[in-house]
Amino acid sequence: MHAGSLGRYILQRLALAVPMVFILLTLLFLLLHAAPGDPVTATLGGRLPPEEIAARKEALGLNDPILVQYFRYIGGAVTGDFGNPITDPRSVTQIVLDTAPATIELAVAGMLVAVMLGVTVGALSGRLRDTPFDIGGRLFGILVYAAPVFWTGLLAQLFFSVHLGWLPSQQRSGGFDAPKDITGFYVLDSIITWDMAALSDVLAHLVLPAVTLGLLVGGIFIRLVRVNMLQTLRSDYVEAARARGLREHVVLFRHAFKTALIPIVTIMGLQFAMLLGNAVLTEKTFTWPGLAQALVNFIAARDYAAVQGIVTFIALMIVAVSLLIDILTGLIDPRVRY
Amino acid sequence: MGRNDMTSTPLRARLHHAWRPFRESGRIARGLIYSGAGVIAGFLLLAFAGPVLYPYGGTQYRVETEPGEFATFPELAPPSAEHWLGTTKDQFDVFARIIDGATIAFTVMTLAVSIAMVVGVTLGLFSGYRGGRLDRIAVTAMDAVYAFPPLVLAIIVAFVLGAYVSPGVVSATFAVGVVYIPQYFRVVRNQTLSVKEEPFVEAARSFGARNRTVLGRYVFFNVVQTVPVILTLNAADAILVLAALGFLGYGVQPPTPEWGYDISQAVDDVAAGIWWTALWPGIAIVLLVTALTLVGEGLNDVVNPLLRARGKAGSKLKAMPRVRRARRQDDAERLAARVRDLRVGYRTADGPLWAVDGVSFDLRPGECVALVGESGCGKSSMGRAMLRLMPPGGVVHGQVDIGGTDVVTAPESEVRRLRGERAALMFQEPMTRLNPLQRVSDHFVEMIRTHRPKTSRDEARSMAREALVQVGIPPTRIDNYPHEFSGGMRQRVMLALSIVLTPRLIVADEPTTALDVIVESQILSILERLRAEEEVGILLITHNLGVVAEACDRVAVMYAGKIVETGPVDEIFNNPKHPYTRGLVASTISLKTTELRSIGGYPPSLVDPPQGCRFAPRCPYVMDHCTRRPPELAEVGPEQRAACFLYPGAGQPVPYDVAVPSGDPQVSGI
Repeated sequence: MHAGSLGRYILQRLALAVPMVFILLTLLFLLLHAAPGDPVTATLGGRLPPEEIAARKEALGLNDPILVQYFRYIGGAVTGDFGNPITDPRSVTQIVLDTAPATIELAVAGMLVAVMLGVTVGALSGRLRDTPFDIGGRLFGILVYAAPVFWTGLLAQLFFSVHLGWLPSQQRSGGFDAPKDITGFYVLDSIITWDMAALSDVLAHLVLPAVTLGLLVGGIFIRLVRVNMLQTLRSDYVEAARARGLREHVVLFRHAFKTALIPIVTIMGLQFAMLLGNAVLTEKTFTWPGLAQALVNFIAARDYAAVQGIVTFIALMIVAVSLLIDILTGLIDPRVRY
Repeated sequence: MGRNDMTSTPLRARLHHAWRPFRESGRIARGLIYSGAGVIAGFLLLAFAGPVLYPYGGTQYRVETEPGEFATFPELAPPSAEHWLGTTKDQFDVFARIIDGATIAFTVMTLAVSIAMVVGVTLGLFSGYRGGRLDRIAVTAMDAVYAFPPLVLAIIVAFVLGAYVSPGVVSATFAVGVVYIPQYFRVVRNQTLSVKEEPFVEAARSFGARNRTVLGRYVFFNVVQTVPVILTLNAADAILVLAALGFLGYGVQPPTPEWGYDISQAVDDVAAGIWWTALWPGIAIVLLVTALTLVGEGLNDVVNPLLRARGKAGSKLKAMPRVRRARRQDDAERLAARVRDLRVGYRTADGPLWAVDGVSFDLRPGECVALVGESGCGKSSMGRAMLRLMPPGGVVHGQVDIGGTDVVTAPESEVRRLRGERAALMFQEPMTRLNPLQRVSDHFVEMIRTHRPKTSRDEARSMAREALVQVGIPPTRIDNYPHEFSGGMRQRVMLALSIVLTPRLIVADEPTTALDVIVESQILSILERLRAEEEVGILLITHNLGVVAEACDRVAVMYAGKIVETGPVDEIFNNPKHPYTRGLVASTISLKTTELRSIGGYPPSLVDPPQGCRFAPRCPYVMDHCTRRPPELAEVGPEQRAACFLYPGAGQPVPYDVAVPSGDPQVSGI
């Protein structure tokens, strides 16, 4: 019955995403071309003879008019060609394929930790408003948000890896136990190949980075879930549900809690972006060979071409995630597709 | 033009008004703000007095012992009296670096947030004012920037700026600042857009330049509450972004002390078991960010009306002993409801108050009793108290007997089973009373199966269809969502939900206030039929005397938490006895008179109610003893009683020379 309206809603969201992608890519292009000089000179200037640099510039099309470069960039980004780095023989697309799974795996695991933590503590805080649990829960939420990821990660390594020796503190796997690389998602790969040794090793490596990253976003979720819970708990339809004699747990879960979660889903896209940003820090702290780590390395090498390509991919990923979240909201909340 | 007047009131008065929520906010919100502000003040002291008081600087690695003679600091020394928090591998003093790091943090944070605010506010004002295509592009661009990972954005800006200026405080400040521009843009742009369409701005356009001043001022006063919250939370976030940039090596450059950079330098120490070089900068970050967030969140609690504590601020009401009364099986069983000395209390910011203060009445099956009175007289509190549905901080005393159960003292599970099954409550606002995520059928099935667990889903659905038909809604719409119905239909759905389990009592709290006249009479006729055919007792809470005349048998008039008069509907309309009732009846429009009379003055504060009759301050018949003790309900006619000293039986002899009012107040006056 609602399939038609849902389909229309998805199309509408898709149509809105197009100008978003276009403007985001334009902004990135402008930002990265705001730097003086050309990328090749900036990256390799002084290290290669001038004729070699001129040849590379020509090869990369940097001598073309800026508009030509712009359209080539947009066209490439839309077709999945993110250009070629100056300091790496692989194409950016190849680098993304090599490293993005690690980052996505970390981000998804971090998001899971964040949602579990944020939803339970936040909902309980909202329900038990102004009790010691609520004040403790809020303070905890603020503290985990206030602690820099790299610092929490460092302390976690010190305690769980160095002091207790329970969990590994670096890399995605212990080398020998690495699963056969099929998708690049190690958890998925070890399940596909049914390699339990690899799975437990991969999961053990995932725990500290994921929890470190998840705590940060979890703090934000605690805040949001708590506030939403406070609002729905005093909403008219919750009072009306009580007036119909529904059991308290039904009122809390089916009426207050479920609606309180909708805004959480809506802002999950933004939180995912924040998670990706902080993945830069987590990956560096845990030497996690992901996309963010690659980005940091290319920035250190002042490789404009690679930075532009990777950032473009991140931008597309953000838009895709927010589109996904929009569709998810449409599935959960009948009002938005109306 | 009223709005225009408002904007021209003095700035201080308006700010004072804007700050009102803070003064009325709860203890916890203020506690959060104060403790956060204390820590921030401590850090400010550290940042500005620290360099003077502590003997070493952040980049100092040696001291001059004698002229020309230097002693270098030890490498990686643990905390001591000499070096309070130890030294680093570069022979720097950790505490000195914390102090200088605080100075850097405050500088970058203040500058970055200021830049973001100035740029964001300017662009927002401009974009919202200009409107059109430019505005749409700006909004999408800002949304795009906002959606982008903030840290990655800061890194890229720092990276690009690095090509122009050598990395340092300036590039770090800009990199951090850019991240927050969209938030200010959004708030200010939306305000500007909504204000631009206001009539007074339209009118002010003819005055040319004044137009913009009015606009600017109006936007200012609308964002003055939200911007400080954003500002503080951004400041907290800015510290984290700065530290992250420092940790990655794109922030303030070494050897300038910066907490994030210092932690990155301490990574190897940690592996070697040296804790003090990494621990202290981290603690400094956590403390300062927590403090700023506490202040921001506290401000948000204060400013956001939805989060403000309700009924929690005042002192507690005197608790009354809860006596479990023996069940009255006798005549109460035969009544739809029996209310005795009902009191409903709240705690408010001004102090505790009794919104309902000793109300008694009986409701027979098949009878409709109207509860009328001005808004704020306690009618709605009364309706909720009938089912013990109290907001946090509310208390109910007295007795409400519904079919042999005392709602006030019965255990929660018993009261819960009674709600919806034996007694239903209908609310005023139909638009917001249904769960937006549930189909109408879900509401019915959930409720029916809660009270009658043996009913199957299909049985419940057919019961629901029947109830919908009774209220005139096509049963085919049973699986629609609430938002697919109009307001009048939603109220009929609420009515169907109320009657589906055939309760003995329906409490209807202004069920037709939000609806048009046609829907109103539909709803009233359904209630009328339930009363006649199903013997349902109805308590109709309303301020609309027209509705009362149409639907009810008896009327109870409430004033300031007390019932001042009860009687048959004809007597109340044609021969009211209490001066307040007379005023109320006189003030309704009727065919008998063209004069619209109203009662002067306002109802009293319930926090500190008048000692005697609560209507005395407004009463045209007031006598000396009226202000000394409250009157009791006196028999003034067949089944008619009034709480007024004009009548014998109210507790005071009536002076012989008093002119007692009588007859229709619209004809003979109050």
